Amino acid sequence: MMRPTATLRIHDDHVTLAALGARAFPLLAGIGLAALALAAVLGAVRGDGFSYFFHSYLTNYCFVLSIALGALFFVLIQHATRAGWSVAVRRISEILAANVSVLLVLFLPVLAPVLLGSHALYEWTSPAAVAGDHLLEHKSPYLNVPFFGIRCVFYFAVWWLITRFFLRRSVQQDHSGDASLTLSMERFSGPALLLFAVTVTFAAFDWLMSLEPRWFSTIYGIYYFSGAILAGVAAIVLAAAALQASGRLTMSVTAEHYHDLGKLLFGFVIFWGYIAFSQYMLIWYANIPEETVYYLARQTNGWAGVSLALAFGHLLVPFVGLLPRSMKRRKGVLAFWCVWLLVFHWLDMYWLVMPNYSPDAGPPFGLIDVALLVGLVCLYLASAVRVAGGEALVPIKDPRLGESLALENF
Amino acid sequence: MAEKEPTIADAPGGAVAALVAQFAGPDELVEAASQVRDAGYRYWDTHTPYPIHGMDRAMGIRPTVLPWMVLAGGVAGAAAALLMQWWMNAVDYPYIISGKPLFSLPAFIPVTFELIVLFSALTAFVGVLALNQLPQLWHPVFQSRRFARATSDGFFLSIEARDPKFEESRAAELLQSAGAVAIDVCRMPATGREVPTGVYWGVATLAILAILPPLGVAWYRSGAKKLPRIHPILDMDAQPKYRAQAFNPLFPGGMASRPAVPGTIAQGEMDENTALYLGKLGEQWVDEFPVPVSMEAVQRGRERFNIYCAPCHGLTGEGDGMVSQRATRRAEPNWVPPLSLHAEPVRVQPVGQLYNTVTNGIRTMPPYASQISVEDRWAIVLYVKALQRSQHATLDDVPEEMREKLR
Ligand code: HEC
Repeated sequence: MMRPTATLRIHDDHVTLAALGARAFPLLAGIGLAALALAAVLGAVRGDGFSYFFHSYLTNYCFVLSIALGALFFVLIQHATRAGWSVAVRRISEILAANVSVLLVLFLPVLAPVLLGSHALYEWTSPAAVAGDHLLEHKSPYLNVPFFGIRCVFYFAVWWLITRFFLRRSVQQDHSGDASLTLSMERFSGPALLLFAVTVTFAAFDWLMSLEPRWFSTIYGIYYFSGAILAGVAAIVLAAAALQASGRLTMSVTAEHYHDLGKLLFGFVIFWGYIAFSQYMLIWYANIPEETVYYLARQTNGWAGVSLALAFGHLLVPFVGLLPRSMKRRKGVLAFWCVWLLVFHWLDMYWLVMPNYSPDAGPPFGLIDVALLVGLVCLYLASAVRVAGGEALVPIKDPRLGESLALENF
Repeated sequence: MAEKEPTIADAPGGAVAALVAQFAGPDELVEAASQVRDAGYRYWDTHTPYPIHGMDRAMGIRPTVLPWMVLAGGVAGAAAALLMQWWMNAVDYPYIISGKPLFSLPAFIPVTFELIVLFSALTAFVGVLALNQLPQLWHPVFQSRRFARATSDGFFLSIEARDPKFEESRAAELLQSAGAVAIDVCRMPATGREVPTGVYWGVATLAILAILPPLGVAWYRSGAKKLPRIHPILDMDAQPKYRAQAFNPLFPGGMASRPAVPGTIAQGEMDENTALYLGKLGEQWVDEFPVPVSMEAVQRGRERFNIYCAPCHGLTGEGDGMVSQRATRRAEPNWVPPLSLHAEPVRVQPVGQLYNTVTNGIRTMPPYASQISVEDRWAIVLYVKALQRSQHATLDDVPEEMREKLR
């Protein structure tokens, strides 16, 4: 029996974006910019000092950001565990992660107003609100505008450096075939994971949790992280499926890879539920007013429906859906569940941000939300095409590529 | 390789139990496995130093039923956990904890989750062993000396004699034509294969040793013992601290408790408003609530009463709380069953006196000032009053328009 060797199969596979990139970029970038412009106009027309616009922007921004962060975690954990199975899809995740560079630019609409003195998003930025409020005064050494700005710069610097490092090395190996690059990536994956943990935790505290500055939950960072992993892995699956549909990677990515990615999705569906419930149960059980306000706002005035939708759509339904082996092995079916999870992950971000905008009037939704989602996703994809460039979409000279191509689930 | 005839090694012994064939490498073994599969054998297996891709297919192994067993285990775990907690908390020992409902799903999820994991994991563990027919103390293939290399660099295929299609010469021929490089005939041991007596003695000794701890526990729990009880886990029973009224050589007079510095008041003890803080005006119990009376306060009082008082006094105040029932059943020597809160001597008490009972306790009832805030204590008294009235209501308490219905 002949066993296919790694080089043979890779040689026959289409592994670069080639002409597709040149065609997709202007289209995606155009749609993205137009959608953002439309959203800005719609936001201005509302006449609420852009309050709705900023809240919706933050929702969608945190959604897109979580894809990049989830993909980054995927890259890091593969190196930390010296995984062989995932090499075939690792470049896709490296690109999705390194694409955090566009998110740096897209963060300006959140950061700039805060620095320029707008209080539309964060109550703690307003000295009038802080004065006389004991809790806010107590937190002001941390929650103040200059320090907030410094921290944002720090997060992005860390993410930019880490993602660049891993993409650069990996691409370099495509050309040199130098196996020591793999070793250096493995060595740095540990410290990088630590930095990742710290930055994601505090970014979630700063950008999302501080929307309700009096409330706090120490598990909040992991909550955002758990959703980000789901989003990242779902995006990797969808990217691989889309590339295969365009005739690329048809031989290097197999049902076995989808199966393993599906297992990760399944695991993190439960992980998200575990974290979400851990946060909920302790607050529910202790029943202390300063903590329960958070869930009270999400159980009243029409928000209960969103909370329930999350319990079912983000946990129970995909849990059962992703349980059978066959669901994970069939590309189309798995892609369906990835879209499903991304939809509910978006709803999760919405559930984190929007009750702060509209605690009394119920869940708001409008064209502006759609425009911002389309705008940010398109710009993210356009930039991903740029990041990918003309390089291979598989680490073609990774020493473990053969192992990945021959992957088989027992 | 095919040109060389494989060696067939046979050793003296009982009836033939199995044939073990060695193959040159993994690819040859996969090929041979598909031939043996096509020949229709049932009791046969391949043995390799590492898992080989494609072997399952070559051997015609169908997907395992293990996942279904694990799923059933998990569902059983969830059902067992929910039933258990429902029975314990809502039926057998209905005890309100933190004011939550007796059957309170969120509080039951952690145990349910853990039992799902435990049952699934145990099912997977036991299921894998059972499906692989493990533990197996003896197998004919171990008669083959060569077979030891199955864990280092040998690739083997064995066919057992218990297979209905087994016939020594035909099986050997099949293995030869499939490319075996060597074939060993494994026979039942001539001496029989009884378990050595040492094993029986070992198991018996372990069993006896295992019985000792439960026996000891049973003995200690049966009847009164003169010795102090064994205290393996101290919990917080012995704490390195001074109790009230204890002796402490550090301070003059040897008193562990320090008296207040003259002219100072401890935090939270500024109780100038005696009606509110003590339930008293001068030496008289107050008869009017020193706090606003509202439906909200009654509700709050009911919640707090159910948490703090109902374990002893019962939800209706009759004195039939779980703690009291249990203490009475066990004939605890120090237990005085509480009076019904609806008994005449309690009903006539002014609200200030009830407040004082909650604050400072009375006779064997402990004080609750440290756990319950002043406002909540008054809310509880308010609810006790409402409870009392509910049991002694007159027609005058019923709204006019409803009275007709009762007559
Ligand atoms: C640990 C059990 C326990 C708890 C909890 C408890 N009690 Fe009691 N209570 C007793 C016992 C026992 C007595 C009877 C004491 C005696 O007569 O020696 C009693 C007596 C009383 C009396 C009658 C006093 C009298 O004058 O005869 C009142 C009123 C009362 N409790 C109210 C309360 C209220 C209100 C609460 C909740 C804050 C409460 N108790 C919680 C055990 C308890």
